This record gives sequence, C-alpha cells and structure tokens, in this order.
Amino acid sequence: MLNQARQYAGSLGRWALLAVLASCCIPAAEAAVSDAALKSVEQDLGVLGTRIQRLQDLTDVEIVQDAYGYYVDKAQWHSLADLFAEDGTLEIGGKGIFLGRPRVFEYMNVGLGPIGPREGLLIDHQQFQCLPTINEDGVTASVRCIAFVMSSGGWGHNYYEDKFVKENGVWKFKKLHGPFNMYSGYKLGWVDNVIVNTFPEKFPPWPDLPPSVVYLTYPSYYIEPFHYPNPVTGKPMPPPSPRAGGEAFGR
Amino acid sequence: MSTFRKAQALALGLLAGVGLCGTGFAKDDAARLKALQSRVLAIAAETQYVEAITQVQRLGRAFGYYTDKGYFGEAADLFADDGTFQWGVDGIYKGRAHIRELLTRHGGGSLKEAPGLPFGRLNLRMQLQPLVTVAADGKSAQARWREWGLLGQYKKEAFWGDAIIEDRYVKDGGVWKIAARQYYQNFEAPYQGGWAALKPVTGNWQTAVARDFPPDAPAPQQYRPFPAVFVPPYHYAGGSLVSIQSRPAVDPPKRADDRLGKLESLADDKERQLARAHSVRAIENLQAMYGYYIDKGQWQQAAMLFDRKGRYEFGQGGVYVGTASIERGLSLMGPQGLEEGQLNNYVMVQPIIHVSADNRTAKARWRSDVQLARAGKGRWGGGVYENEYVNDKGTWKISTLHYYVTFWGDYDQGWAAKPFPVDLPSSLVPPDQPPTVVYQSFPKLQVVPYHYANPVTNKPHAGE
Repeated sequence: MLNQARQYAGSLGRWALLAVLASCCIPAAEAAVSDAALKSVEQDLGVLGTRIQRLQDLTDVEIVQDAYGYYVDKAQWHSLADLFAEDGTLEIGGKGIFLGRPRVFEYMNVGLGPIGPREGLLIDHQQFQCLPTINEDGVTASVRCIAFVMSSGGWGHNYYEDKFVKENGVWKFKKLHGPFNMYSGYKLGWVDNVIVNTFPEKFPPWPDLPPSVVYLTYPSYYIEPFHYPNPVTGKPMPPPSPRAGGEAFGR
Repeated sequence: MSTFRKAQALALGLLAGVGLCGTGFAKDDAARLKALQSRVLAIAAETQYVEAITQVQRLGRAFGYYTDKGYFGEAADLFADDGTFQWGVDGIYKGRAHIRELLTRHGGGSLKEAPGLPFGRLNLRMQLQPLVTVAADGKSAQARWREWGLLGQYKKEAFWGDAIIEDRYVKDGGVWKIAARQYYQNFEAPYQGGWAALKPVTGNWQTAVARDFPPDAPAPQQYRPFPAVFVPPYHYAGGSLVSIQSRPAVDPPKRADDRLGKLESLADDKERQLARAHSVRAIENLQAMYGYYIDKGQWQQAAMLFDRKGRYEFGQGGVYVGTASIERGLSLMGPQGLEEGQLNNYVMVQPIIHVSADNRTAKARWRSDVQLARAGKGRWGGGVYENEYVNDKGTWKISTLHYYVTFWGDYDQGWAAKPFPVDLPSSLVPPDQPPTVVYQSFPKLQVVPYHYANPVTNKPHAGE
C-alpha cells in the first residue's frame, strides 16, 4: 500500500500538491459514498476527458499538416494524397480547385512533376507557425500555417488556411487552401525577381473549379482571412484598407 | 531543490500519509472516494496547465500573422492594458496605443487607415520555436520565441531579420495576454552579402524609429547585435526544468472490481492521456531549449539535455555516446560560447511528436533551417531530425539526436549553384561509433526514414 501510494504520488508530481490542498475544500465525505457523489466524479472525468482529447487533437491535426510538408519535400504524392478525405479538395496559388483525392494526386503528379525526389532538385516545403483550432463539435478543425519554401529556384512564402475532418477517429484534410504570398529567385531575392501568382492555364492539369478568390501576390497586397477571431478581444478580423497594396496607402 | 521537486516531495509525504491511513481502513470507501475526488481536481489543474501552454503558443503565432500583413492594431490588442514592448536597445514602449505605433512605424503601415501595407512592402516576421513555461499558479507564463524576418521594399531593399523574444504573459479575466515583451534584435542584414558581411556595431545603434518616436522608458540593458555574440537572458536561467517536465511514467495500479474501482480505473486512463499530451509540450520545449543553446555555442548546457547514455549523430560525423562525449562532438561547431562573427542559428520547426502509450519514451521528427557564419563567410543549411526521448522520472531528456543533412550551400551563390558536401567524421575529435547510415547531401538525395506510418492510412511508407 505504501509503495502504491508512493508510486501514485510520483505520478501526480506537482499536481498532487494542488489536489491535496484543494481536497481540504471537499467536505469530509459524510462517511456515505452516495450515488450522487460517484455520478459527479464520473461526470467530471467525462468533461475533463473531452478537454484532454482536444489537447491531443491539436497535436494530431498539426501532425497531418506537418506530414504534408515532409511528403512534398520528397515528391511522395501517393502518401500526400492519402492525407486527404475521399472528397477532400486542394487549391494552391491561383490554379483553381481540385476535387477529390485522385485529383489531388494529379495536381501534384502532373503539375509538380512525377513521383519521387530527383537528384539536383530541391523543393523543401517547411511548415511554420501552425495555429490549429478544434471546433466545438470535435470532428472538424481549421489550421493557419506557413509554408516557407527553399527550392532550387529560390524562396517561397505562402499561407495555409486548411480545414480538417475527423473520420473514424482519424484527422484528414477536408480542404487544403494555400494562397501564395511571395515567391522570388535566389540571386536578388524579393527586392526584384519576384514570381507572381499561378493561374488556371499556367500549367496542366486544369482545375475542376475556378479559383475561389482571385488575388495578387507580392509586391501587391493580399491577406487571406483568419479562421479565428482575435484571441484576446474575440472580435472578428477587420477588413484591410481598400488602399492597401497601393502606393497611396497611408498618404 | 527546485520548486517542482519540493512540491513533489511534499506531495509524496502527504500521499504516503494518506496511504498509511489507507492500510488501517483498506475497505473504507469514503476514503477511496475522497482520494479519487482529489485526483479529479489534480487532473483538472493539470489540464488547465497544458491548455495554458497551447494558448500562449496560439497568442504568439497570432501576433506573427497580424504583423505580417500590417494588422498592427490587432497585434497591439494582444497586450494587456499596461502591456510593454522593449525593442532592442531602443527602450520600452508602454500601453497598446504606443505598441501599435511602434509596430506600425517598424512595419510600414499607417495609423490613419484601416489595416494593410503599401505596395511593395514586405514585413514577414515568422514566430518560431516557442519555449513556454507556465507558472504553477496558472496565472502567469513566460516564453522564448525566435523571430525570422523577411523584410524590405520592392525594387529598393531586402533584409533578413533575426531576433529573440522573451515574453511575460498574464491571465486576465480568463484570457491570456502579453504583459511584457522583450524583443532582442540580433541583426537586420541586407540580402546582398547577408549576415556574414555585417560590420561590428559601434556607438549608439538605436533605430531611426526610436529617434522619431522616443520610447517611454530606456532599455534596462545595452547589448551589441551580431557580429557580437549576445545571449538574451533565458527566463529559465537558474536551472528551472519545469517546461520540460510532465508526469513520471507509472504502471497503472490494479483496481478493485466495484463501481469505485471502475472510476479509479477511468481516472488512471485520463491521467495517462493527459500525461502524454503534457509530454508532447515538454518535448517541444526541450527541442526548442536545445536549439537556443546550440545557437549560442553553449555545448555544455546542450549536452545536459541528453540522457546519461544519450546518442548524438550529426550528418556523416558519426555517433557520440554519453554526455561528456556529446559535449566534445558539439564543440566541433566552435568554441564554447562562440567567437565574435560566428553565427550558429539552428531553427527548430515542423515537429511530428509521438509519445509512447506508456509515456516512457517518445520519437519526433523535426527540421532545421541553418544560418551560419564563419570567418566572414555565410552559409545556408537544411536538414531533418529523427530524435528519440526518454521520460526520466518526469523530466524529458534526449536519448538520440540524429540530424540528417539535406543540404549545405554558400550564402552568396546559393545552395543550387554552390552546394557543399556533408562533413566526414572528425579526426581531431573522433566519434565513438561510425555513422549509422551512409548518404550524401544535396545535389545527391536521401529520404530520411519516418518513425511513423502515414498518419491517415497508418500504412508504412514502403515503395515511396
């Protein structure tokens, strides 16, 4: 019994202290172990269980997003397409929307080049600053993230505003939306040789649906809406100035 | 004795007492219920603690997304009413209005207009590598971040930005807010020439913004940026390991087959799930801590983060085993503390962390972007880690760190035009074991094996 108590105390660590202190507030269990008391414990554990599950969900959703980046690095298009729900969609840059897992595969395999890494070609797509939100329903989620690209051609920076769905206990991409922000060559960087957004006819395959939003990339201005309100004020995102992206902004 | 250890010892004593009482009243269901209720409270407290870590991470990342696009009012709104922002050696700006103006002046926005940036302005400030420590009372927290900036004006100028942030947060009305930010700029380096071409700073290096918009208070500390080596103070200085701790791994006790026993068993399950979720954050913090030490050539401190029998393998350099050997292996990067002009930035990003079901071990994939400077020459690097960790009585340690080099490239010409091969084992400080896997870096290629199956299909990666 002592050993068990010791082990138990160890497992609690610093939390045990809080609990022991807090337990002083519990009325001395009037001897009886009432049905109500047991039900209350069960309920508390149920509510806590949901919160603990949300903590795991945050990690699991980010894992899918980060795994996507590692698969792009090495052109592992089958593994990448498998991260999508059957009816998952993909929209990158200005290319338009691709519907369903097979078309996600095709966008990658035809648009970006055949399966597998190639000697002398670097396409590192690093996933930065992921900000996941698990919705109240516990089976849908959103993520804002950055892809920072170091490729043979130079630099790239784009955002993601992605939707996830939990099917049979597994998080998957429901919708990958990756608007471009800034792409440039290496020699001069973004001071000059920037590469503007893609568009539906830029390279095959052609999209199933047109772009959901038409916008310009750096040096112009576009902001992809945040899926979340301001975390402190709770207010929704204000629209940008109509003059943003123009030289007259602020004058 | 750390606060944590003291709390643990105290808890042990108290609970041992409860346990002893228990021997006298083994069948006392009232005592069992009371113990169970205490455990539920402890689970609630720890859940809130881990949630706080994620909320602080969210706050820091939201800040970055706002400043990127000229949403400086939104960024300032993340601060408490009396929040402060110390910008480098410029000084301290107080209150949301001044913080908004500070960010607007540095970022190129407008105080008169709705959010946004003018044509051609680039103000990308990526907020990376959080190391979050929440106070035991859950009312305040601290964090270290790395800001990596891509800054400039189209057709005019382009800069790389590098800074360390040390934040203090408060929970105010149930909401986490930034109370005090210390922003330690390390460099803003012109794209042409990069950081390696920067000259030592002499005299007053306050920014032009500080001259036009004076701070509310002077900076408490003066320092020199790169190429000087300055270590922004760690909020975990003094050996606090709280941020890399969760629960020790335990075998769940066998519970009685009655209704209370079923609830005790349910609490065991929740405790373990929570412990694993807590461990994920502890490991994020551990890898970030390792990275911050490596940045500054603090090999001794970095080696202490390994298990006693830990393994360190970098590129094709072979394996160093045990903390003393690891410290020698790390020192191949330079002298302890580095010398002026040496840059050793290893950015820790893109974690895929899996904690074992019993919370005893973990594996993680990470990647680093690397910014180096040696003898006036700049270098880019990139690579992937496949690391292993061990839960040592509640404190997470690195048991294996394995960094696979994807590429090294010359700064001026780029990795495509001038890649460098990966280094072979040192003859000066030879490793204890040869490389566990042989490969060549870019333009050759290697796919670093994944420690996990596909996260959606759960199929192995064979064939791709």
